[in-house]
Amino acid sequence: MSTLDVLLQQVVNGLALGMMYALLALGFTMVYGIIELINFAHFSVFMTGTFVGLVVLSLMGVTATSKSLTGLALVGVLIALFLVTMAITGLLGVLIERVCLRSLRNVSGTAPMITTIGVAFILINAMLLIFGPQAQRFPQLLPNWRWELGGAEVTFKQLVLFVVGLLLMIALSHVVRRTTLGKAMRATAQDADAARMMGIDVDRVIVLTFFLGSALAGAGSLFFGLYYGFTGYYIGYTTGLRAFTSAVLGGIGSIPGAVLGGLFIGLTQSLGGQLLGVKWTDVIIFSILIVVMVFRPSGLLGARTPQKA
Amino acid sequence: MSALAARLGERLGLARWRALPIARRRQILAPVLLSIGLAFPFVTSNAGNVDAAANAYTYVLLALGLNIVVGFAGLLDLGYAAFFAIGAYGYGIAASGQLKPEWSSLWAPLEWAGQVSRLAVPGQSEIVQFHFSFWPMLAISAIICAIFGMLFGAPTLRLRGDYLAIVTLGFGEIVPVVARNWEGLTNGAQGLGGIRTPKLFGFDFGFSPYPYYFLGLGLVAVAVWISIRLQESRLGRAWMAIREDELAAGAMGVNHVHYKLLAFAMGAAVGGLGGTFYVAKLTTATPDMFTFPVSVMVLVMVVLGGLGSIRGVVLAALFLAFLQSVILQELTEYVHALGRLVGNDFLQRVELITSLELIFGLILVVMMIFRREGLWPAVRRVSALTLEQQSVAPARGAAVELSWARAAPGAVGPGRPLLEIESLRKSFGGVTAADDITLTVHAGELVSVIGPNGSGKTTLFNLITGLIAPDDGSIRFEGVEIGGRPSHEIVARGVARTFQNIRLFNNLSVLENLLVGEHTRLQAGVLGAIFRPPWVRAEEERAVKSALEVVEIFGNRLRPRLDHPAYGLSYANRRRTEIGRAIMTRPKLLLLDEPAAGMNPAETLELMDLIRAVRGFGVTVVLIEHKLDVVMDISDRVVVLDHGVKIAEGAPAQVRGDERVIEAYLGRRRRAA
Repeated sequence: MSTLDVLLQQVVNGLALGMMYALLALGFTMVYGIIELINFAHFSVFMTGTFVGLVVLSLMGVTATSKSLTGLALVGVLIALFLVTMAITGLLGVLIERVCLRSLRNVSGTAPMITTIGVAFILINAMLLIFGPQAQRFPQLLPNWRWELGGAEVTFKQLVLFVVGLLLMIALSHVVRRTTLGKAMRATAQDADAARMMGIDVDRVIVLTFFLGSALAGAGSLFFGLYYGFTGYYIGYTTGLRAFTSAVLGGIGSIPGAVLGGLFIGLTQSLGGQLLGVKWTDVIIFSILIVVMVFRPSGLLGARTPQKA
Repeated sequence: MSALAARLGERLGLARWRALPIARRRQILAPVLLSIGLAFPFVTSNAGNVDAAANAYTYVLLALGLNIVVGFAGLLDLGYAAFFAIGAYGYGIAASGQLKPEWSSLWAPLEWAGQVSRLAVPGQSEIVQFHFSFWPMLAISAIICAIFGMLFGAPTLRLRGDYLAIVTLGFGEIVPVVARNWEGLTNGAQGLGGIRTPKLFGFDFGFSPYPYYFLGLGLVAVAVWISIRLQESRLGRAWMAIREDELAAGAMGVNHVHYKLLAFAMGAAVGGLGGTFYVAKLTTATPDMFTFPVSVMVLVMVVLGGLGSIRGVVLAALFLAFLQSVILQELTEYVHALGRLVGNDFLQRVELITSLELIFGLILVVMMIFRREGLWPAVRRVSALTLEQQSVAPARGAAVELSWARAAPGAVGPGRPLLEIESLRKSFGGVTAADDITLTVHAGELVSVIGPNGSGKTTLFNLITGLIAPDDGSIRFEGVEIGGRPSHEIVARGVARTFQNIRLFNNLSVLENLLVGEHTRLQAGVLGAIFRPPWVRAEEERAVKSALEVVEIFGNRLRPRLDHPAYGLSYANRRRTEIGRAIMTRPKLLLLDEPAAGMNPAETLELMDLIRAVRGFGVTVVLIEHKLDVVMDISDRVVVLDHGVKIAEGAPAQVRGDERVIEAYLGRRRRAA
């Protein structure tokens, strides 16, 4: 492979990864947009999702040693897997909001964020207790088909990730732009008090936002499992921070920004890993995080200043 | 019955204990606690316990350091373990064989000082062997960490809250990755080994936990002492003022850039002490000793004890360390025994120590929801007021004197221009809040600024006090241009203000609020605050005396409430405290933004007396007020603003009859053609 081909290959890989970061970043951005909270628990909801996916798959008879599926069986298993996992992580998000965050809604300062760090630690260690410290193999249910694209190779796995990610984003965009709920969400993000006075049930909007965001994180966790073929209690933090960087880079609170940021971070990871060495990837990504936070806190697409006054 | 009596006696003793002044209590407590600490290794027969306690002291050091940053200054640092790492690697590199530079004569002074030695390698040039002594490295690590603290803190100066936390988290992630990957310096993931143990007068600390225990105890004692001294100094007040309200702190003369960096530096330095101590004891340093969970663990200690509460933080750190090294291990044995008893396989195998982080998570969530101030918060007990103290005896101003008033006459004599504003412009987007305002205030005058809502009155104050920078035009105070200067500088020149929506430092006492106002008059820096030499003691006494004088202006309104936290004050007393705080800065020009808002008629009259009294001290006053009877009664001159334009200026009676003023307030009268 020529250098150009290698780079092209990394672009393909990066875009597939970027879809995962984008899905995760969407959850961050939606919650921040509504209640101005940086939700650390999102990391661990994502991590928990991979284990939920494992359990769902094993209930459907698919285990790490199963052969990959094809045809209708594959479509059926995938649909069931995504729906059930997303529903469960969505409910987990709702639970976190109801139990831990609602009573802190009107507390100013960093208390709500510290709470979400606590929630993240609880979930991480609950998974550690239940599933143990070893990495678990994630069933490789997608067949190993590949196609040539220019000098690079696109795998069926990457294609599925890309298509499913795109479908989910279109669905989210439809919800936010075209439905009453979306209108209520946008109104609450602008001004929760005014929205309440206009008869919008703000609590319900916040709960649904957590549900949607966490469901997308569930989808992201399945991406992780299918892509990397393993999971462990520790995967949430690094991936989550990269996704958070995506959200910040795109402009926290901005939904298109989260997608753009996710793709950018995916590309940074694959290309940066190629050019500077994998071990420096996180230094690059966190430097991006710091630089954006300090010099352009509104991100690439965020219009309003995201800081609390 | 006897138990009851004992409890009653304890109660009585406790009451008497609480009646003692703080300083006396400390005189008693410090030796008691120190002797308990010194006696502990002799009481316990187990070297393992001594070792665990020495480790616990590391956590206490870290928690005290983070408490300076998060508790005092209110800057949530989620990457604090970075400083632990830098301190640890600082000593680790200097006291192990990791670096082997070639010998050159530049190393000679260090060789002479016995810190490095020449090593002859057969067939190659000579190399340098590092064996820096622990004691100077303790200080050097602390200084290195302080520098990194400022480096990592500098980018966060404009950020607050969550965003600041995330940037510190980013640095906290980068440091261990660098430690892992910069193999030449740190030996990568394997970490440093064979780090030299400290020596003292020829005695090698070696691998016995006992010397480290006493060293750790000493370091903790020093860190506690420094924390207390800092908290009760000009620095501590400045930090807490920034924590409570950064904007108001600036308006009282606190340079927030300086004090935030100082907090980062001091916190990091204490973390560096912890790192150096820990690594000297452990003799190894690996990158995974300093990851995010460590930062969170230290945060849990601070949150559990109470942000800003030194005693709480120390106790919480000791407790969590004890939980980790003793309680969970013992509990595991019991659970295993229970498992054998009931025949449960899971219970027989479970290791509770692995749930430590689960417990940390639970602590964070539970504390944040139910007890954000911590288990043993920093706030003092406040005694209830007696009936006499509660009954009002307002001073009608005139009788009171301030010792500094008129003692130092301003550079500008009475009647000369003190504040000169020329063609001042400021617009926000499409709204022009100040449009070509020209205004002169003479020394000794009382000028009122009136105008309908949104006419730009508060914007004018914000421009004068440096909260916002003008787009164009000039503001001169005593002939010096102050437009666009930072607010802490402008206060120091003699311009003080109050805010329309009162901005007190809510968790500070009335006295502390007033003392923050004295900030620019005091000199103490870090060393002054810690060692408190006689001149610092004297200036603190002067500050308190000055605050007591200012309180007298308000009769007995604030006097009995000096140690009450500001959030518990009545509305009118909050106004009074804020005015008092502004007077504490010894202003030549005092800007009052709607001081009578929300006050009843009697309180308003009292306030007017007060304003007259302040004028009597030689202070020039500019007043924004909506109560026109107040304005007409006490002003020498009235300035009317409307939509950012000065539409009238003159004596009260003259302005009252002005056609344009009536128009601005009541709308245009239809004129007969």
